[in-house]
Amino acid sequence: MITSRRLIAAFAATALLSSCASDAPQDTWKPAGENAQMIHDLQWPIFLVAGIVGVIVLAFIALIVVKFRDRGQAMPEQSHGKAWLEYLFIAIPAVILTTIAIPTVGVVMALADTDDTECIINVTGQQWWWEYDYPVSADGTICGFTPSVADASPIITSGQVVIPTGTKVLLRGTSRDVIHSYWIPRLNGKRDMVPGRVHYLRLQSETPGIYAGQCTEFCGLSHANMRMETIALEPADFQRWLDNELEPYAAPVDGSLAAEGEATYIAQCARCHQVNGLVDDRGTDDPSDDSLVVSYPDQFVYSGAAPNLTNLMGRNTFAGATYDLLTDECRADVWEADPSEFGDLYLEGVTEDCLNEIELREWLRNSPAKKPMYADPEMLTETDGKTRGMPYLALSEDQIDQLIAYLLERK
Amino acid sequence: MFTTGSKLLIGSSVLALLATLLFGIFDGGLLGSVALISATVALSVLAGINVFTRDANVGSDETESFGGAAAASGRPGASMWPFTIGLAATTITLGLVTYTAIFVLGLILLMAGLVEWLVQAWSERASAETGHNSEVRARMLHPAEMPAGAAIGLGVVIYAFSRVMLGLPSKTSTIVAFSVVAMIVLAIGSLIGSRRTISAPAMTGGFAIAAVVLVSGGAVAGLNGEREIEEHNTTAYYAAKDQCGAEEISADEHASQTVAGKASSAAEIFLTESGTIEFQMPGDSSRRSDALQLPRSNPNNLLMRNESSEPRRFVIDLAEGYEGSPPRMCTQIIEEGGVQLLTVEFAVPSFAPEVEAVGGYRFTVPGVESASLEVVVP
Ligand code: HEC
Ligand SMILES: [Cu+2]
Repeated sequence: MITSRRLIAAFAATALLSSCASDAPQDTWKPAGENAQMIHDLQWPIFLVAGIVGVIVLAFIALIVVKFRDRGQAMPEQSHGKAWLEYLFIAIPAVILTTIAIPTVGVVMALADTDDTECIINVTGQQWWWEYDYPVSADGTICGFTPSVADASPIITSGQVVIPTGTKVLLRGTSRDVIHSYWIPRLNGKRDMVPGRVHYLRLQSETPGIYAGQCTEFCGLSHANMRMETIALEPADFQRWLDNELEPYAAPVDGSLAAEGEATYIAQCARCHQVNGLVDDRGTDDPSDDSLVVSYPDQFVYSGAAPNLTNLMGRNTFAGATYDLLTDECRADVWEADPSEFGDLYLEGVTEDCLNEIELREWLRNSPAKKPMYADPEMLTETDGKTRGMPYLALSEDQIDQLIAYLLERK
Repeated sequence: MFTTGSKLLIGSSVLALLATLLFGIFDGGLLGSVALISATVALSVLAGINVFTRDANVGSDETESFGGAAAASGRPGASMWPFTIGLAATTITLGLVTYTAIFVLGLILLMAGLVEWLVQAWSERASAETGHNSEVRARMLHPAEMPAGAAIGLGVVIYAFSRVMLGLPSKTSTIVAFSVVAMIVLAIGSLIGSRRTISAPAMTGGFAIAAVVLVSGGAVAGLNGEREIEEHNTTAYYAAKDQCGAEEISADEHASQTVAGKASSAAEIFLTESGTIEFQMPGDSSRRSDALQLPRSNPNNLLMRNESSEPRRFVIDLAEGYEGSPPRMCTQIIEEGGVQLLTVEFAVPSFAPEVEAVGGYRFTVPGVESASLEVVVP
């Protein structure tokens, strides 16, 4: 008796505490955009109705348990059925369910509407990160914005999707390997991303900031490490972000550590990761020798893709938004920034002082140890020797130094 | 001690073992080894059985013990289980050198034989009444024997039936045979159903004949092999031979002009009346003709529609130099107003030198000069 009372108390306390958690970035009760607001406006009256029904039912049960408990009284008169009561008990739920169904269907339809889209972004899930690409429209705009460079090519990024505030964004999603599910609780419900199919998800945010989410369809070993963030920027800031993404490749200064990093990158990483515009000069000064470095991850990675690292330091998390590229202090500055200052802080990207070097080094030293990925070469028979995720590369500490210097300039 | 019979069997076992060893050391041929090992195992099993059963007999000179000897208290019934166990031992040995499946089959046989024999031997001593004894045995073993027997019977029927079906010379004859058999089953069923009584021998006989016909039919058909199943070349075969032209090829026969999965495709592509190619992306209501953007390393399902007034096909050249995807792909001929699904995967981005060298990715339509659509793979 005492143990079960304690158990109930523990449950109640947990429920109470979790309901008032303050640092809960994935809280469905804090909608931050039109779509999530629609869901929210629907869910709280339904919870209310369900709660009232629940309380009434429990109260009745309690009443009956107490009032009619066995006190040794005589057996009461037995009767069979009471038609009017049965009809009533059918009618009441029918009325409640119909009342709930009408607005629910309305919201479902509204959330599936794609006619009012102002910006289209493609999202592709794979074990265990999300890739985004921003298609160029027929009129040369990207996401409704005109890039300052002419003939812009599509932008590719991963982990964090950047959207302009106050804009009706449509994510067009699919998957390269297994079924994943995209969910940013504060911006909309979830949507499964299925190989071979393209599904839609509307996103919209009114306030600049970071909105966290995670994959919600079990997709393998590192499912729990498959996270994503939506970054909402004021339109002017979004334009800056866009232009920065499209800037041509800037090679490191000759003789610098980063320049050594570029060579190491070409040797070790470029077969999987694309850095747009990177040119391999093959160690000669002869420009006719130069060749564009093109990755071919389909030969090494099971899903056929690896994150584009062109602007790695322009985002502030990595490896499926699981690890921070920013130190705790700098991270807090950005994540807790006032909406009016958020854009500037985010667009600063990762500076040398703010780089969370420890975790990035650990990643380069042994990524499968940082994120379970079946990268054990012994276990790759099923995938033809291809890894799920990034393999262990046996880099030296010197190589890692060079790579960090090189990656720091990628923004 | 041991009876003469046991001694004979033990001696033979030892001899077989010796022969096995000698053969193994001096010759080592696989078949011979298998035969000798099998013989050793089988003889040892028989010797063991003899020691544990017949050796319980009293000696022939101890006349006064005759009445109390185990063998005197009613003869044991005929039993197929020692034979089964011998068969199991051979199967296990055979399985050790051939396939695991045979080994496992032997183990199952061994288990079944041991349990059956154990229960039979025990039930025969249960009481002095033979009828009661067999009832005891049945009550114990029928719950296992019935379902197992049914499963095996059903398996044999299904397997034999499938062999017959696959062995028949054509699809039509298969359909006819199936219908005839179904009709016969129905007729017999209704005959049995309409009769008040039917004699047991008639039933048993009927079923026995059916079983024999089915199993022998299955065996014959199985030995004959399956009928030849025609194989058609796909468009990929012709694409590889550079034959995705405007004219019809054998891969175009019976080409489907409708597609079941019309929703959630990566894009819809149209050959228009005026001979241009347009596309429409999901979530975007406008039709465009500039450049279609598709993700890399992703099986893109494309709906290819022909709105022109001629039967046409779409062709796309993919970059060479990587595994998996063919360098050229094409649809079957699409009738006027028809639609087909094409799944295209681009492993290399369109800015790669080898793709730029051939002018980028591009959908074209043989026979329609003006039809060309650029595909951008970022
Ligand atoms: C065999 C292919 C392969 C090679 C080689 C490879 N990577 Fe990766 N890398 C991946 C994959 C796949 C991921 C995504 C893993 C995940 O998040 O689950 C990844 C993730 C990363 C990330 C996180 C990116 C992000 O946006 O989340 C960084 C940084 C990175 N790799 C750096 C490197 C560097 C530096 C090298 C060279 C030393 C390298 N990688 C070599 C496949 C590879
Ligand atoms: Cu996932």
